[in-house]
Order: sequence, then structure tokens, then C-alpha cells
Amino acid sequence: MSDLAPAATLLTAWQLRGRTARNRVMFGPHETNLGRRRTVSDRHVAYYRRRAAGGAGVIVVETASVHDSDWPYERAPLAGPGASGSAGGWAAVAAACHEEGALALASLGHAGGQGSSAYSQAALWAPSNVPEPAGREVPKAMEDEDVAAVVDGFAAATRLAVAAGLDGVEVNAGQHSLVRQFLSGLTNHRGDGYGEDRLRFAREVLAATRAAAGEAIVGLRLCCDEMAPWAGIVPEQGAEIAAGLAPHVDYIAVVRGSIFTTWATRPDGHTPPGFNLETTRLVRGAVPDGVAVVAQGSIVDADLAERIVADGTADAVEMTRAQIADPDLVDKLSRGEAERIRPCILCNQTCQVRDARNPIVSCVGEPSSGHETEDPPVLSGSIRAPADVLVVGGGPSGLETARVAALAGHRVTVAERAARLGGRLCTAAAGGGRERLALLADWLEAECRRLGVTIACGREIIADDVRAHPGPVVLCTGSRAGRPTYTTEEGADVRTAEQVLSTPRGELPPGPVAVWDPIGGPVGISVAELLAGHGREVALITPDLLVGTELARSGDLAAASTRLLQAGVRLEKRSVLTRVTPGAAEVQDRFTGEPREVKADLLVDAGYRLPDDALWREAPEAPRAGDAVAPRTVYEAVLEGRRAALDLVGTGIS
Amino acid sequence: MSMSRYRYLFSPVRIGPVVARNRVVFCAHLTNYAEDGLPTEQHAAYYAARAAGGAGLIITEEHSTHPTDWPYEKLIHGFHPEAVPGYRRITEAVHRHGTPIFAQINHNGGQGSGMYSRLPAWAPSPLADPLFREVPKEVESGEIAEIVASYARVAEHCRRGGFDGIELQCSHSSIVRQFLSRATNRRADSYGGSLENRARILLEIVAAVREAIGRDLALGVRLCGDELVDGGTTIDEAVEVARMVERAGLVDYLNTSIGVATATLFMIEASMHVPPGYALFIPSALRKAVELPVVGVGRFKDPLQAEHALDEGHCDLVGVVRGQIADPDFAAKARRGDADAIRLCLSCNQECVGRMGLNRWLGCIENPHTGREALPRPPAPDRVRNVLVVGAGPGGLQAAISAAERGHRVTVLEQTDVPGGGARLAASVPNRAEFGDLVRNQVAECRRLGVDVRYRVTASPEVIGEYGPDAVVVATGSVPAPPHWVPEGVPGGAPRLADITEVVTGAAAPSGRVLVVDELGFHQATSVAELLADRGCEVEVLTPGMVVGQDLGVTLDLEYWNVRAAEKGIVQTTDSVAMGLDETGLQVLHHPTGQMTAYPADWIVLAVPAAPNDALYFSLRQDGPYRVHRIGDCVAPRRAHAAVIEGDRIGASL
Repeated sequence: MSDLAPAATLLTAWQLRGRTARNRVMFGPHETNLGRRRTVSDRHVAYYRRRAAGGAGVIVVETASVHDSDWPYERAPLAGPGASGSAGGWAAVAAACHEEGALALASLGHAGGQGSSAYSQAALWAPSNVPEPAGREVPKAMEDEDVAAVVDGFAAATRLAVAAGLDGVEVNAGQHSLVRQFLSGLTNHRGDGYGEDRLRFAREVLAATRAAAGEAIVGLRLCCDEMAPWAGIVPEQGAEIAAGLAPHVDYIAVVRGSIFTTWATRPDGHTPPGFNLETTRLVRGAVPDGVAVVAQGSIVDADLAERIVADGTADAVEMTRAQIADPDLVDKLSRGEAERIRPCILCNQTCQVRDARNPIVSCVGEPSSGHETEDPPVLSGSIRAPADVLVVGGGPSGLETARVAALAGHRVTVAERAARLGGRLCTAAAGGGRERLALLADWLEAECRRLGVTIACGREIIADDVRAHPGPVVLCTGSRAGRPTYTTEEGADVRTAEQVLSTPRGELPPGPVAVWDPIGGPVGISVAELLAGHGREVALITPDLLVGTELARSGDLAAASTRLLQAGVRLEKRSVLTRVTPGAAEVQDRFTGEPREVKADLLVDAGYRLPDDALWREAPEAPRAGDAVAPRTVYEAVLEGRRAALDLVGTGIS
Repeated sequence: MSMSRYRYLFSPVRIGPVVARNRVVFCAHLTNYAEDGLPTEQHAAYYAARAAGGAGLIITEEHSTHPTDWPYEKLIHGFHPEAVPGYRRITEAVHRHGTPIFAQINHNGGQGSGMYSRLPAWAPSPLADPLFREVPKEVESGEIAEIVASYARVAEHCRRGGFDGIELQCSHSSIVRQFLSRATNRRADSYGGSLENRARILLEIVAAVREAIGRDLALGVRLCGDELVDGGTTIDEAVEVARMVERAGLVDYLNTSIGVATATLFMIEASMHVPPGYALFIPSALRKAVELPVVGVGRFKDPLQAEHALDEGHCDLVGVVRGQIADPDFAAKARRGDADAIRLCLSCNQECVGRMGLNRWLGCIENPHTGREALPRPPAPDRVRNVLVVGAGPGGLQAAISAAERGHRVTVLEQTDVPGGGARLAASVPNRAEFGDLVRNQVAECRRLGVDVRYRVTASPEVIGEYGPDAVVVATGSVPAPPHWVPEGVPGGAPRLADITEVVTGAAAPSGRVLVVDELGFHQATSVAELLADRGCEVEVLTPGMVVGQDLGVTLDLEYWNVRAAEKGIVQTTDSVAMGLDETGLQVLHHPTGQMTAYPADWIVLAVPAAPNDALYFSLRQDGPYRVHRIGDCVAPRRAHAAVIEGDRIGASL
């Protein structure tokens, strides 16, 4: 395989209003919660600097509100001068990105009726009194003076951004945007000039922005498919809108999704990458050559990115989550080391942060993402005295321990009891729509092998081995089945989700299946989906009022429920499993206590697990990491594996 | 002088080295006022307002003892010495009013996650919490010692911060309760098994904290009297623990609570559906067993209720939290015999409890200053103005109150013959009567301030002109708006249609089979469903959402709604969108599967977004020599709090 060819076009420079971007890889705007109050903070600066240092061509900063009528989430930056706004932070981001060779743009927006009144305690502004379906808050239909204030806000914010040294701005008419709400028949029911001509508001915003930008770049993030064809923007209209607005802008980033489909803009692995490319081609065909088109939407693989720019679908691509997963993506491509890029597995578990709890953007595979100002760097060759390190367990925490220890210069052995590496991450990858999880395990293994880690599968370690080992030992022994919270009658077939996921399709007993999911995370859902996909009769039992409650953050909550219902899975909500008999799962209504039976020849337990800490109990002097401490997600496994390795190294800073 | 009404409430009480001037306690509760883990100016101003208002004793929100404890973002990190200056600011502000203030210190244990700490949560046993759904780490014996020491260290910080006492939260969200309870403690070592073992950590903490603070500070223990969970602690063991605590001879008082914050919070911060005094059996039982003073809690909103609890011997002090959130002068007003002037808490939970779970600062539906105590009020008006308010709903009345407080002459014109607008209707359905206290409080306030409220006056530009106002505040509320799918002329034989307001006013009296279409997701649909079921209707609630009454979750009303709905035979149907109406019934789209179904019915009741009643506002805008302002539902139909906030904002700025 040729090294440079895969990214030949992607890595070529391009021009935006006379400014040169060194390559066609963009880091698109996204919520991070890195702000302090409503500013672009030091944490933002470190986050963007890291991506610029890794080779990104263009960095678009998290969207800032252009007017104080907009406060869509607590840490949403506000464009404004002085300490309370973004201007200071923008200047620091501009300086950092320029130092590292990237262009930097401000994303400017107003979330309109998709915002929140929780922080401003004032009515939301929108074209019409149309509530957003999830929040259901009726917004104020904007008066003429409100419209003028927002248009002025775009101009004022643009002047600030340019004065801060940024290369320009990107106007948000994509997801969570007032501009799109004016463009769409779903949300714009006005009887005035802004309703008769739904492009008018966007044109006024862009004209004001263009005038304020001077010679700086003006981009447009444009929703071209609202996926609500009864009244929303469909791709053909999207292309027309793009053509109508193109005279004002230097590039158009094509996105999709709207009030009914917020999940669809940055979907998880259940949506195959490339979903937005047809629409992007329509737009490319509709706008003049002088206006660049940028492709967006789960573009996480370099080869897909290369195809998009090579075949003319777009002039550049946003690879946002891919660079959250690996900030050095472009550098690795440039060095011909595409296979060394830490893959984005499209899990959305920690990079999606539009959540009331204000989680900080991060990545399950690269937990230092978002924590650039606090986490010690992972460095190669950082030790003077290499040791023989034994890592017990080849799941994600064990492999990350081994990888970081080997990178530092230790001689590392991973002993895995099973025949293959990857632990529960690989098991989970067998679940419906979760295939990409295995890519992270594969990458960790490949990195370990590249670094000379000795991998011994099928090797059981006992306490004597731990004590006899001449160097440090880290226990990454993972988890085991939890204690059932229900009784099981003799003859009933009860298996864990992990067992079912690792059993070949033909080897499961026939008959109806019930999945017990007290967690509401991705595992129970994916087992039900997998089995239903095999044509089996499946019921999903949850004590909650809806299934998959923990999926809200990744954006898969409503989508998962829809997939299950379409696959014919029966949702046994508000039900607590009490007993399993041959042929049935007995459940109780959570509110009334009323018992009932769910037909099941097999009960799959997708409940909580326990640490597999038997070895640690015999050798408690050895440190543990990941599920062996407490069974949680891959994020904690990788984070603690890394910390365990850095503890061996010392501080992690050479 | 009606002080004689209170034989006990305003008598002083000794708590170890501290004397409280009365029995009204502002007990610990979350505020989300912390920033970066530190107490803020807002904390100081918030507590000082309640001290100034006559509270006998203030106990702050919890201070975390250890970095492994960070369950919600805005927790005060008591373990940081940097917290001490913030403590001093709080205690100095409160002491200025002669009020003692204690600090509550706590470790939430397994009732948390690693989301903020990036560390495993610590707990007695690796059992996942039902809310956080993360398996915690089973603490090792060295870690137990670390926890004990951490309490002592934080108590020492609090002592230096000028607090008069320390309260150990060993109740609804605490690692100490998790040790005490068989439901969460499965340990086989000396900290598990017998009650003596389970209480070991508590007594170790008590000893360590007393050692740290000496005898000049009071020390209290807050115990959970009934966890209300399967296999959990009940009152008998709680009494035993209270005896053990007293025998240790180191503690000055006991506080009480009921429930587990992450499982049965709806009984800790009970809404108006739970009768007051519901938790008094706990202090009552403890007080019989020990000599220590005991604090009782549980929805005390009226000083007479508190007096009765003392009189009947249930407790020695009474926690009044929401009562003093709504009115900081609760105690002072009662003491001076002016209990009618107290702005009674509604126990609606909308802006206090409801905002906590969403990571927002604590407020109050009817007190626009709560949560804003540290902010300066607008400057005093330069001259007295004639203010005319149109509409006597919550927004209009609040505008009148806030304007009159600043000395303006205020007249309110109300079209109907009663005040309250939508709030009065909301209070007219089963179990929601206390919501009507909002109207009672506002009307009483208007009367005290000399606001002239005129009923049965329909405002028009001409009528308004006759009053010669300097400023007009339009607060005309909303009007029902039929959704787009309702045909112009409803065909014969189709179900009859009514809006929820028509049902509660009695203008429509549905009977037989009734479908309630819920697009609002709050009390409206569920209240009307209950009302109609009580009248013998066969009721089904349909919602396009995934849960009926989704927002009842944040006010803690969802649990009992589901219990009552089951009792009343109300059917709940989710994921279903009303699309049309004909003689076969309501045409409903099950949106996940695309299936259309006709739902036959006698009546359809609509709980759908209303339209702003803005005709008067738009007819006034161009006229007149006076400024025109618009607030509340006639801007955008929302909940009562939005109207109150906007009313205050305008009223205070005139």
C-alpha cells in the first residue's frame, strides 16, 4: 500500500479569500463546555492549539452567540468585548493557531427557538411561535427591531473576530440556528417580508457579516436537508438556498438535521459515514466554482476524506470527531502513517456535550482531549531506567497501559487469559451498530505490537506469577457477571449480554428472548437490536419509562427507540424483573407492583457487572486499572490504563 | 401582638455551645451557586437574606470532603483550603444578623459518578446507584481511614471559616448512610454486617471531627429515618443509630430526613401532592429515644404547622427550607404576628428543586429575587410614574408589585372578575390547589402596596388613554389555539373538541371516552386527565413524546402521577402524533413505525401550545405618549415563572 497517495489531494493547500489553508482538513465548530462562564477560555486555546499543532488546516472555534438574547447552553460563548465575552479568547486562539500554521475562524450563531431560557430567563426569539419538540418552549415571534438587533449582532461579532486576529467567521445556519429557522417552512410561518421571502433574513445577516468582515473569510454552515420533507428544507431546496446565498460567502459547509432530527447532524455509528455526500454534491453543482464547498458528517476515515476532495464532491472536509480522537491526524497522514491514526469509533459517548450537566468534551480513546491544560502529556522515551512491566489483561485498559509504558521505554508484556485481545470492547462491538468499537481495540493492539510489546494470549496469571515478576505489574483484569437482582428457577436459561454477544448466531437456543436492561446504556439496546435483526422475537425489559435513558447524551436515545420499534422489539417499560422461569420472565410494574409474564426461553442480563478482582485480592499490592476497579465504560478503562502507565514512568513529564 | 400564637416556635434553644433564638432552621439544600468548587458572593447574600429575615439557625449546603466526591458540577469542594475565604464571607454576612450558621459536610459516596472527578466513585460495596448508574469502587480499609480523615480536615476548614457548628450529612445522599444501610453495604469486614459494624465509620467520623473542631463548635448528625427502598434502613435501625450517636457523647443535636436522594427524592422534596408533616414520624421516634435536640423536616410552609409540630413534641426545631426560599422573611413576619404577609411556598418544585437536577442555580417561581440576592437592583426611579398594567395574571400582578415597591402609582385592569389568569386555572384541578397560593400571595401583596386592581375592565387604546399612564405593561396572557390538524368545520359524527382551559373552567364537560392530546408535557394534560377520570370518563393521554408528562420528572411529580394514573385507569400512549380528526375518531401517527391508527372517542381534549394574546399590544405600539411593555404569555405562552420574572424585570425598571 502506498503511503502518501491515500491523502494526496486532502493534503494540498487551498485558498479562501486570498488566505492559504495548508490542507483541506477542517476542525469544525462544536460544543465543548471548555468555556469559563461565557468566554472562550484558556482551555479552549489549549484544545485548539493541540489540533493546530497536529496539522489541521482550518479550525473553527465553538459557536459564539451574537446577541445576548441567545444563551443556548450554560457555557455557550458570547461574542462581546471585554472579559465577559469571547474577544480576548478569540485573540489567544488566533495567535495559537497561527503559530502552529492553521487558519482560525469564529463560528457565529444564534440558536433562536432551539436555545434555552434557563440561563437568560427571557423568552426565546424565533421567526414564529413554533416550539422545538424536545424542549417544548414556545418562543417569541421576533419583532422587526429584534430582527435588526440580531443582524447588527452578526456584524458586531464579525468586527470583533476580525479585530481579534481571526481569519474570518462562519455563520451558523445549520443545527441549532435562528438563520435556518428563518429559511425553513417548519419554523417560519411569518406573514411579513421575512416569511414571504424566507431567505431574506439570511441574506441580511450575510450582507452585514460580509460588510463587517472586510477582506476576512465569510463561511456559511448551511443545513440543506432538514429530514422533515412535509415542511422542511429538502436537499434540492437546500442547493437552491446555497446558490441564493453563495454571492455573500467564501465557502459553504453542508450539514443536515433540524428540530426533529438533532441527532442526525453528528450521528453515532448507527449511521454509516457518507450520509451527507449526495446533498453535498447537489450543493457543489449549484454554487459557483469560486465558492468552496465543505463536506461534513461522520467523516472520520482518511480514505473517505480523500475520495471526497479527489472526486470533487467538496473542496474540503470537516474531520471534527476524528481530530478529537487523534489531534495528530493530519501529521500522521503527512508522514505516511495513516494506520497509526487513533480511530474515531463514532460512539459519541464523551465528545457530545450538549447536556445540562456540562460535561467537558473528550474522547473514549483519547481521554486527554479537552483536558489539555491538566493532563500530563504521553511522551515517548521519557524514562532512564526501563523496567519489565507485566500487564495482566488485554482489554482496553491493559492495552493502553502497555502502549503508554512501552512508548515511555519499558519492556512490556501483556498476558491475556482469552484467545483474543480487546476484552469487553470487542464483545460490545458485536452488538447492533457498534462494529466500529473494535477499531479502537485493533488500533491499541497494533500500536502495542509496533512498540514491541510482547502479547501472550491464552495465558492465565496467578498470584505467584505476580509476586515472582521482577518488575511492576498492573492488573487490568476487567469485570465479571454481576449478582442477579432476581431469582432464577431451575431449567431457566439466563446468560449475560457479554455471553450472548460472543456466541455465534446459530448457537443460541431458539425461541423468544427477553433482555433485562436496568442500565439503559448501549449494551442492552444493542443486544436486543442484534437478536431482533436475526429475526427473533425480542422483548426489552426496563424499569424506566423509556428505553435507553443513558443514550440521551450520545444522541441515540430517540433513534434507538425508533430502531427497536421498527425491528419489532417489544418494549416492556416501567418493569422490574423479579424471577426467571423456563419460558418466562416475571416482571412487576414499577408503580403498581402488578406482576406479569414476558415470554422468554432465554433471558439476557444486560445489568451491572462486578470487578473481576480475584487476582488483586490475592496480590493487593499490585495497582489496578479500569473495570477491575469498578466496571464502567471504555473511557475510564483507557484513562486509568494510561494513568497506571504514567505512574510507572513517574510524573509523565520527562 | 399575636406572638402568643407561638408558644414554642420563637423560644430560644441550646444546641451544644450555640443558642438559636428560635426554632426555625434553614436546613441544608443544594443551590448550585458555587463556581469552580468554591463558595461565591451569591452564597453569602443568599444566606444573609434568610438571617436578616429571622431564621433561628442556618445550615449551609454540603461541602465535599474528598476529591472522589463530585456528583454534580457546582458542588463546594470543602477539601480545598481555598474554600476558607468564601466560608468567612458567608459566616460574616450571616453573623451580622446575629444568626448562628453551621456547615454541612459530606461525601456522597456511590451516589455520584466520575464524570467531573475522572476518578472512580467510592462506596461501601460495588453496587451501582439507581440514578448515576455507575458501579462504584468498593473502598479499601486504607480508603475508609482516608474518608474519616477527610471529614476532619474539612471540619477544620469550616472552623477556620467562622462557622458555629458542623453537621454531618449521614442521610439521603451520603457514603455514611450507604455504610449504615444493608441495601448498600455488603461488606464482610469490620465495616459491614452487624449494625455496630455498619455504624463504625459514622462513629469514627464523629470522633475525628470533634477532635478537629474542639468543644466551641456544635456538632450534629443528620440521619435518614426511612430510606423507602427495598431492604433499606427503616425507623427502628435509625433509632438505634441515634442512640449510638448519643452514647458517644460527642454530638450536640440530630437532624433528620427521609428517603434516598437518588432513588426516592420525590419524598425528600415532596411536592404539593404529599401532605405536610409526612416525615414527622422520624424526629418523633428519635426524640423519644434520645435527649439530644432533634430537627424535624418535611414541607413546613406555614409557621402554624411548625408550631404544632413542636407543640405535639415531634421535634425541637423545624426545618423550613422552601418556605424560606420563597420568603426570606418567613420567621420575622410570623414573629411579628404578620403571618398573612408570608409569601407561602407552593411546593410546586418548579424553580427550586426543578432547577437543581438540571445543574442550574436555585430560584423560586414566585420570588424573583431568590438566587439573585447578590445582584444590585436597578437604581431608584427619578420620579413617581403612573403605571397601568393590563392583565391580573402572575406576570401583571408581579409587574404591579415591583413597580409599587418602587413608589409608582399602579393600576391593574383585569378583564374578568377574578385575579390569577392561568395560575388560577392550574390550581383548580385535583391536588393542585396550593398552586393558587401564588395568586393569593400576589393579591395580598398588591393590597399592602396600595395597587388599585380593577376587575371587569376591558382595556383598549381609548380606555388606557383615559388613565393617562406614563407606562403601560401589557400582560394579557394567551388564548387557546387549535392545532393545524383540526379541520375548519369538524365533521359530524367526529369526537367533540375542547381545550384544557374549557374543561377546567367548566365551559366544556367531556364525558364518555376522552382522548387528551398532550403536546405540553407538564401538569396541564395529566391534571385534566385526572379531573376527567375522577368524573367517570374513560381517559387516554396521547403524546408525541417518549413519556407522558415528561417535565413532571423535574418537579418530582412523575412517580405519583404514574401511581394515580394506574389507580384511575388512565391509559398512557407515547410516540403518537395527532394528525387529523374525522368520524372514525382521532387520526394518530405512531411516528417510530409510521403506522396510522384511528382512535375512536367521544371527546378530544387539547393540551397544546396556546397563542399569545397580543392584539392589544400591537394596537398600542404606535399610539400614545406612554411607553408600552409586554410581558409573560402575551409575548410567548410559557409557565408562570417566566411571567413573574418578566413582571419583576419591567416593574423594577420603570
